[in-house]
Amino acid sequence: MEFDKETHSEHISTHFDAELEQIKSNLMAMGGLVEQQLADALAALASRDALLAERAQKSDNKINQMEITIDEECIRIIARRQPAASDLRLVVAISKANRDLERVGDETCRIARYATKMLREDVPSNTEVRHIGRHVSEMVRNSLTAFARYDTELAYQVAREDFKVDEEYKFAMRALVTDMMEEPRHVARNMNIIWILRSLERIGDHACNISDHLIYLVKGINVSHSSLEQIKETVRE
Amino acid sequence: MSPTRQPKISIKTTERCLQPLVLSQETIAVEVKDLNLYYGDKQALNCINMSIPRHRVTAFIGPSGCGKSTLLRCFNRMNDLVDLCQVRGIISLEGKDIYDRKVDVAELRRRVGMVFQKPNPFPKSVYENVAYGLRIQGIRKKHVIDEAVEWALRSAALWDEVKDRLQESALGLSGGQQQRLVIARSIAVKPAVLLLDEPASALDPISTLKIEQLIHELKDRFTIVIVTHNMQQAARVSDYTAFMYMGDLIEFGSTDDLFTNPHKKQTEDYITGRYG
Amino acid sequence: MKIGLRQWVASGSPWIWLNGAAVAVCVFMVIGILLLIAVRGLGHFWPSDILLAQYQIKDRSSRIIGEIVDREQVDAQQLRDAGFVIENQIDSLPRVLLKVGNRDVTGTDFIWVLGEQLRQIQYATYLFAMERREWGNFYGILHAVNESGQPVATNIDDGDAVVWQVLKSRIARALEIREQIHTIESQTIGAINYGLEQLRLRTRELQLENRLTAVESALIDEQRHAYQEQYADLQEQLVILYTSVERDSLVAETMDGRSVEIKLSKVVRAYRPNTMSWLDKVIFYFNKLHEFITEEPREANTEGGIFPAIFGTVMMVLLMSVLVTPFGVIAAVYLREYARQGTLNRLIRISVNNLAGVPSIVYGVFGLGFFIYFLGGNIDQLFFPEALPAPTFGTPGLLWASLTLALLTVPVVIVATEEGLSRIPRSFREASLALGATKAETLWRVVLPMSTPAIMTGVILAVARAAGEVAPLMLVGVVKLAPSLPVDGNYPFFHLDRKFMHLGFHIYDVGFQSPNVEAARPLVYATALLLVVIIALLNFSAVAIRNRLREKYKTLEN
Repeated sequence: MEFDKETHSEHISTHFDAELEQIKSNLMAMGGLVEQQLADALAALASRDALLAERAQKSDNKINQMEITIDEECIRIIARRQPAASDLRLVVAISKANRDLERVGDETCRIARYATKMLREDVPSNTEVRHIGRHVSEMVRNSLTAFARYDTELAYQVAREDFKVDEEYKFAMRALVTDMMEEPRHVARNMNIIWILRSLERIGDHACNISDHLIYLVKGINVSHSSLEQIKETVRE
Repeated sequence: MSPTRQPKISIKTTERCLQPLVLSQETIAVEVKDLNLYYGDKQALNCINMSIPRHRVTAFIGPSGCGKSTLLRCFNRMNDLVDLCQVRGIISLEGKDIYDRKVDVAELRRRVGMVFQKPNPFPKSVYENVAYGLRIQGIRKKHVIDEAVEWALRSAALWDEVKDRLQESALGLSGGQQQRLVIARSIAVKPAVLLLDEPASALDPISTLKIEQLIHELKDRFTIVIVTHNMQQAARVSDYTAFMYMGDLIEFGSTDDLFTNPHKKQTEDYITGRYG
Repeated sequence: MKIGLRQWVASGSPWIWLNGAAVAVCVFMVIGILLLIAVRGLGHFWPSDILLAQYQIKDRSSRIIGEIVDREQVDAQQLRDAGFVIENQIDSLPRVLLKVGNRDVTGTDFIWVLGEQLRQIQYATYLFAMERREWGNFYGILHAVNESGQPVATNIDDGDAVVWQVLKSRIARALEIREQIHTIESQTIGAINYGLEQLRLRTRELQLENRLTAVESALIDEQRHAYQEQYADLQEQLVILYTSVERDSLVAETMDGRSVEIKLSKVVRAYRPNTMSWLDKVIFYFNKLHEFITEEPREANTEGGIFPAIFGTVMMVLLMSVLVTPFGVIAAVYLREYARQGTLNRLIRISVNNLAGVPSIVYGVFGLGFFIYFLGGNIDQLFFPEALPAPTFGTPGLLWASLTLALLTVPVVIVATEEGLSRIPRSFREASLALGATKAETLWRVVLPMSTPAIMTGVILAVARAAGEVAPLMLVGVVKLAPSLPVDGNYPFFHLDRKFMHLGFHIYDVGFQSPNVEAARPLVYATALLLVVIIALLNFSAVAIRNRLREKYKTLEN
């Protein structure tokens, strides 16, 4: 079935069109906020800017509120419209993506908190963090773009990236652990970095989830636990 | 309703019909093969191929005038009552073509029962309504009929409500009760297939739900085909759904698939309310 | 509030008023007719007082005793032309119709007298009236009661009251014995005669088939012998009864002074209206009414009851309904359900509808020619050869009359049934067919029961039409006086070959063919009223049945 921007519009009930449009744009807005928040947190780490870190933490409130709003809207649509087929998949996908985005916000908030701590303790910035951070940011951005454009190919790319990120994470972890074994003085600050890396890895997973939801939305197949090969098949068939 | 000469019409004999969905792991109760139906010169059903699975509920959905009721009425040859109606193709029930010349139509209609949109119990007592089909077959023994009536009313979830007023007129029942009585009447003769033509559209929501519950209980023993305008009802009640449009069968599949991820855009448009 | 004329016309009120006026006129006409018939007819049974007066004609004065039956105003000029001397300024005079009875003595029982010329009018208590089996009523003065010629009670010796009592008791006794005689004659002897006739027919039948053996012959003779013995016994009884009833008589004086002796066996009832209280008269009245409805006629249908006519009419109407209903219903079912809707169907429908317009006497002629002569004649040849040359079914009778009227009213039933069939919603037929019923079963079990109100409507209309038809019946089965009822106690109980009496024909016969028109006129009205009442009863009962059926099948209103 062809999927394009017009797929979820042109219902006989224009009100329904508007409602679906509403949750979608709300999700995109929330996605924008989350992206900004992540950028802030990473920038705070890179440029040692405490203000950015604080800004990143503060915006979590707004993101949580948006999550509640979108969630309620989705439930309302289900109760009143009994959506079917692609409409149903849209609402379910947005509801799930909503949750994943909110988690991204939480993780980003955690990163910002560690950043603040690290800046106070005057810890030098870490390359891995920068690198993985950039990677993950791009994943989040791409997954949201894919969602906006119903681009399953892009979603597949995000899934592929996630594997790479996982590899990088493992590598970074090993390096840090080695460093801690060699220099017990570094344990405190490396722990912080480990936590940050962990959050970043999780953010990557969530971005991957969002892409899975998009693939479910477009293809109707749940690829959450499928292998990369299977995802490729699903996307390319 | 008296017979007239059939008008001569030309039928395109080289129509290519779509292949039917192959249902694995289901026994088939009714097989429809290359069915074409004409009202005079107008073609109402185009090359329908479909298999109705046994002991399941199959729903026909589609916009007004798409031919779903027409198709339903083919299964018990009620279309024979309409002048100018011509049927080409094969519908086989348990392996035998029901449009064969040697088929006894009355016997067919006993094997394939039908419930109509507006409840139409006879102006007789509740007991006599349910016993009607049995009496027609010549069953006379009172205890046999008594048992059958009770069984049918229990199966239709109506026994408790009417057991004290079996001899009173059926017209005194509420709409929902009347429709359940009609269902009891149809199942009293133990048909193989039960056809329901929008059975709940004239009823209030509670009665509708009771009918749907009843359908759910009955499907273990009967093959049920239901035509409905109400898509949510089709989604709630059926195992398989057929979407029809302008006399064509557009899509046929399991209800779960059709309502979450239909294959054809037309089906999608209709189900999501874009058709208009 | 004054509304302009144009507005009033535009609002439709004038038409409503017109409708109301038309309905009112119709209602008044109907009530008027019923009242007229009722008063004239029912008044006949009321015992009016007997007057005793001196009648002055020129210089002769004679005594007159009688009942006042009618009054009218006569033009004075006519009277002057007839020779009466009347003062010039008088334009009309009243005159009175008196029923003086005693036709055997005086020759006429009704006399017109000028009201003026009745002098010394009194309503003496000793005047009495008597209904008799022959010669009409008797009015006079009672003198004595005799037994076997010898006086038992006389006015002079025992006083008027005693004589009257004796008379009444003797009349009661005579009536009882007459009742016994009647039972023996009509029922018992009737049965014997019937049995003998059957034997005769059996003999003839066997003869025709050449099966009359000596054994059979002997058997029949034996039975005949038994019947004849019974008959002889009964004859003996009758002789005794007859002598017993003939024993008493009364002696009375007529208005012109003559003394007559009348046998009590000829008396039906005797009464003294001048001494009867209002309550007595009411009781008397209802007795007479009861007699009118339940007794057989006497004196060429001018006296007595009309029970055979009532019975014949009702029997015929019922038989006709039984015949017309299946005909009409089956025809209607065929026309609507089975026949092809083409030209032939339309032709048949048109013919059926035209049948309703054919004059009824034509049906009578058709019935005579086809049913009676052709069908009846053939039936006689085939089944009743032993009775020939006396026809059994080849002659007018109850069956042919009912059949002819059934033919007359069949279009009505067909139309009403078709209407009823078409009103049944398709959903019931479809429901029945969907359960595996054939078309015939659907018709029989669902459609026809639901159409019974409409069929009843058709039957009601048929009954209403047929009960009023007289002309065709005269040709196919009705007679002035039938010897026996079509239903009696002899096997096979329903004698459809017998002729019968009919109320409508009775009215015609009594009113215009009777030898004594004056005496008969009130009976005409009474019979007409009875006919209207009976038809109304038949209609009401049919309507009641239909309403009950409608209740049962009320679904059509939903």
